[in-house]
Amino acid sequence: MMGLPANRLFCLVLLFLFVPAAVCGAPVTRTLSTAEPGAGEVFTVSLSIDGIALGGVVETLPAGYAFAGTDHPDDRVLVRGEKIGFAVMNDTRITYSVTAPASGSGDITGTWEDFLGESHGQIAPSHVAVDGIETAVASGGESPAAQQAGSPLAVVAAAAALLIAGRGGRR
Amino acid sequence: MNRRLLLVLALLLLLAVPASAAEGIPGDADGDGVLARAEYASAVLAYLDTACMGGTGDLDRDDIRDAAWVYARWDGKPREVVDSSGQTVTLYRPLRRVVTFSGESLETLRSLGFDMDRVVAVDKYSHEKSIFFPECREKANVGSIWSPDMEKVLSVRPDTVILYATISTAACDDIQRRLEASSPGIRVLRFDCFKPATYAGEIRTIASIIDETERGEEFASFYGSTMDRIRDGTADIPDDEKTRVYFEYWFDYTTVAASAGYNEKTELAGGKNPFATGTTEYPVVDPEAIIVADPEVVVKLAGQGLAAGGYAGHDPEALAAIRSTLFERPGWSRISAVEDGRVYVIHSDILGGAQHFIGTAYLAKWFYPDRFADLDPHAVHQRYLTEFQGIDFDLASQGTFVYP
Repeated sequence: MMGLPANRLFCLVLLFLFVPAAVCGAPVTRTLSTAEPGAGEVFTVSLSIDGIALGGVVETLPAGYAFAGTDHPDDRVLVRGEKIGFAVMNDTRITYSVTAPASGSGDITGTWEDFLGESHGQIAPSHVAVDGIETAVASGGESPAAQQAGSPLAVVAAAAALLIAGRGGRR
Repeated sequence: MNRRLLLVLALLLLLAVPASAAEGIPGDADGDGVLARAEYASAVLAYLDTACMGGTGDLDRDDIRDAAWVYARWDGKPREVVDSSGQTVTLYRPLRRVVTFSGESLETLRSLGFDMDRVVAVDKYSHEKSIFFPECREKANVGSIWSPDMEKVLSVRPDTVILYATISTAACDDIQRRLEASSPGIRVLRFDCFKPATYAGEIRTIASIIDETERGEEFASFYGSTMDRIRDGTADIPDDEKTRVYFEYWFDYTTVAASAGYNEKTELAGGKNPFATGTTEYPVVDPEAIIVADPEVVVKLAGQGLAAGGYAGHDPEALAAIRSTLFERPGWSRISAVEDGRVYVIHSDILGGAQHFIGTAYLAKWFYPDRFADLDPHAVHQRYLTEFQGIDFDLASQGTFVYP
């Protein structure tokens, strides 16, 4: 059994491993006005873009969820089924609306491209569930092979590590 | 057998023209030669549709990246450049797959911070310089301008090939003709990058091509500060008071005449070459004539034809040995340069190519030690390697370029 100092050290190592992956490095992050919309409710998805002067973003909605509009200029948006493409031209934020189905859950997934920086990657998935009820409906988007941003699991692990480390320090 | 060879060549030709070499800015839908904002946005959506949304289109990732480059850095317009051969070249895209037949141009690209991953093949001499060009070890080797491996050139699908502008023009013209005949989209650029008279301008032109104008100004300023210091320091020396210099090429009793680049640098440094008049570039001189000319300074060139020193090895003894043999030549004890110990050996690595400003600084210091007391060629050299070439090379323990 590990002693307290070793325990704290282990937790700090966990923090170093997971926290940077969770919060750094991704030029595009997504936030939702709600992750548990009501049936038929329109909710807002905001994409925060950092450091991409000229690029593109493609978002993929879960099955049943429908694109409902955006504040992005019309000539820089393309919708094909559950996929929405945005041309990024010195934008730092793109907001769009989504109409929730009567029921259903899944991940909003996305990819980004930085044409001048010549890089590309995945946007961390955001989970949504109508009324918070998980269903067996599969996500409309492909599961990203490698996420450049940290996953929610990493954030949970980091939070747990912080908690344990904090407790260790008080003993 | 012939049919098979023809088939291979035909295949190579098909491969030779990458999509990026085609004329026109990618995304310029109306073909008016300008990538407008709306055209660019439309091109981005078309690319995203093809790449990620299940649509079909022609633009690939390199296309849209090139379009973004042109839109952002060239204001959506093609860039016209005039190279050192006087030809006007219109660039519709940035350089993405470059082949260099000139080590001097390759070195200049590196000075300007060009992404060396975009150089896909180099000449055989640069390929052999594994210490100076370590990143070129794994690149394709396309031979020399006198013996180019055209199949290799085409196989790496270049969008740009760089050749010399004013030397070996027949060989370079021939390579250019063959490239343009087989792959019309390939851009052929001609630069020298070793001549004091044109190098500063070439730095700025190449910097403009690769959109590194700020870095270009910085490097041109660094280069110019050394060359201007030398020019200013020798400008007021009357012709009859200039230091008499015997400059000996790699081979014994072979000197440099007016048309040779080494003579230009000798004169830039304020030296007077008694053997400058002559029709051949590297004339053989009568040993007695050297004694009669009584040079005040003797400079012996080491390098390819007299292998010792340079970037390849730290060997001061080898250069010292070369110098010693000069002291032992019959009748040379009567020469002022030998009497005064003003006999020097210099490696062509720092006098013949893009680094000529370093070697010329050494010459100036040797010819006029008082006038150039504050000039430190060693420091200039180290700064060049560290700051502009970006290579980990410590002159204190690596390489040998001058002696003493």
